[in-house]
Amino acid sequence: MNGLLIAMILALLIPMYEAWRDGDIWQKMLAFASIATKTSVMILVVSVQRDDLMLGTVGVIILSVGNAGLMLLAHVLKRLGQYD
Amino acid sequence: MINILSYFCIILGILFWFWGTFPLLGKRSVLFKLHSLSVADTLGSMSIIFGLLLKIPSEWSLLILALISLAIWNTVLGYVLAYCSSSGRNDER
Repeated sequence: MNGLLIAMILALLIPMYEAWRDGDIWQKMLAFASIATKTSVMILVVSVQRDDLMLGTVGVIILSVGNAGLMLLAHVLKRLGQYD
Repeated sequence: MINILSYFCIILGILFWFWGTFPLLGKRSVLFKLHSLSVADTLGSMSIIFGLLLKIPSEWSLLILALISLAIWNTVLGYVLAYCSSSGRNDER
């Protein structure tokens, strides 16, 4: 189970590197969406590993509210681009 | 038997994650990356959560909520990102 978690952290490093490297805002948004999904699934894995229901609740909240926030942010960025 | 199946699901999900995330490093357009990322990331995450569900069935309510949230939000987010990023730009390759 620990090895699986290490593999997940390795998969998480790829979008982090991409978000750091790329200057284009939409590529950054894409990488951030990927990071949000991956971290919340990792939180769920840790919660099942420790049999901790509270941690799992936090993971599910991040999964739904984080994605909703990214959606709103995309709309704000689009509106900002229109009036430049 | 159940344990082996759950590990199989989790490992399959991690493979899907790597498969969908590696195109992020290339020089392709946003829409190409978005497609590979949304398909493979959602399928991989759902497979991992299904594996966890087989492992500890007592947390089923939370994990089913996570599955539904993944299936709905990731498709909607993919659509919204494609809509917002493609308007007014004609340089997609």
